[in-house]
Amino acid sequence: MSFSVMLEQLSSGMLKSLGIFVLTLVFSLPLGLLVSFGRMSKNRLLQGVTKIYISIMRGTPLMLQLLVVYFGPYYLFGMRIGGVYRFLAIIIGFSINYAAYFAEIYRSGIESMPVGQYEAATVLGYSKAQCFVRIIFPQVVKRILPSVTNEVITLVKDTSLSFSLAYAEMFTIAKQIAAAQTTFMPFVIAGVFYYVFNLVVAVAMEKIEKKLSYYDA
Amino acid sequence: MKKRMVCLAAAVAMTVSMVFGTAAMADERTTFTVGFDAEYPPYGYMDDDGEYTGFDLELAQAVADYYGWELVKTPIAWDSKDMELESGAIDCIWSGFTINGREDDYAWSLPYVNNSQVIVVADESGITDLAGLEGKIVAAQAASAALELLSEGGDQADLGATFGSIQEFPDYNTAFTELQAGSVDAVAMDIGVAKAQIKDKEGFTILDEMLNAEQYGIGFALDNEELRDQVNEALLYLTDDGTVSELAEKYELADMVCLADSADEAMTEADTELTPAETEA
Repeated sequence: MSFSVMLEQLSSGMLKSLGIFVLTLVFSLPLGLLVSFGRMSKNRLLQGVTKIYISIMRGTPLMLQLLVVYFGPYYLFGMRIGGVYRFLAIIIGFSINYAAYFAEIYRSGIESMPVGQYEAATVLGYSKAQCFVRIIFPQVVKRILPSVTNEVITLVKDTSLSFSLAYAEMFTIAKQIAAAQTTFMPFVIAGVFYYVFNLVVAVAMEKIEKKLSYYDA
Repeated sequence: MKKRMVCLAAAVAMTVSMVFGTAAMADERTTFTVGFDAEYPPYGYMDDDGEYTGFDLELAQAVADYYGWELVKTPIAWDSKDMELESGAIDCIWSGFTINGREDDYAWSLPYVNNSQVIVVADESGITDLAGLEGKIVAAQAASAALELLSEGGDQADLGATFGSIQEFPDYNTAFTELQAGSVDAVAMDIGVAKAQIKDKEGFTILDEMLNAEQYGIGFALDNEELRDQVNEALLYLTDDGTVSELAEKYELADMVCLADSADEAMTEADTELTPAETEA
């Protein structure tokens, strides 16, 4: 296999990894916020349920969760799986797992807000929702960005776990090429790909952080 | 608001039924989904153009063409092969799949390759026979026939017990790298794969003493004998018209492919089976 074909194959795998990455963020970031609301809810039941959810999601391996999401519908309900569901299961698995981590990050940010801000907002006539959306949340985002960056970078590398569901993302393809050609080259390229991707993510997040720090000199 | 929720629920239900529904409408077969290990040359691997190919996959393609099915090549994680098959995500396991020791676990096609499990060692290790493996670290693929053979309950369990340890690997490439690096002393694997692995490498030997003689078949779910029979029929046809031997030549497996023998046996079996059926009637 020529170097260019190898690059081409790995790039197509990279696109698939990127697909998992983007879709996971699109679903898990909002879902995480919802979960964090549940976690901080005064409703004991809701709080308990989200606590258990977070505990399970963080307490079991992501690879196992992927297997459960994918094979679960068959073993529990006898549904036929395969086809599109393979990719769907990966996105669901990744999203619910990362939502748990994001929920705790959101909570850390929201709970770090001084009570005085809520009181001031109430005095000024803001409703609860207005207060959260316009005053609290923008500050939360600023505070939690470094932790979010951490998770996002981990997510880039975690995409390789989708091999457990036989989805041909980049690392899977690297392994297959390595097996067929009996060479380590694809792993080197894969490593460079991951690093560059994460470098881009890190730089982008840093840019956003800078942009949001409009009150600092 | 309530209306919106109902709409949303309906949309979700529709999506779910669409996703699962497409797979469920398998009555009128149009696709043939083959699960294989994509790190298993020469049976299934990625070729120089980045396409999945190999002896097994080309033969599967020929079977699919025979019926006008569309072949779907699904690389699987070897550990999950049973879940993939049971759940219907794949129609069969076609990947240098050893029948021996798994006879009752799948609906098997005709055996198509005579295989042996062998031990590969580095020349400099000085190991020349199976007895020399005593106390050594031997590598085998997880959930592979070689591993089952050497573990408790396998035909070579006694030999396996003499090893220092059996190290499990997800794929042979990793195992071979460890062998090259000297962190394992030997690799137990299928002879066809072993030959393909050491073809471009120097300093490795396949021990003359083999662990066993066994056969490859295509594994179908136990309740899917109908598809199995269809594939068998196609295999017999492809043996007759020379496609099988052509492919065997191409992948240097000519001395191992045994479909012609299986075909003869199938014929005689069919003849003998007629008699009891007639008496019953």
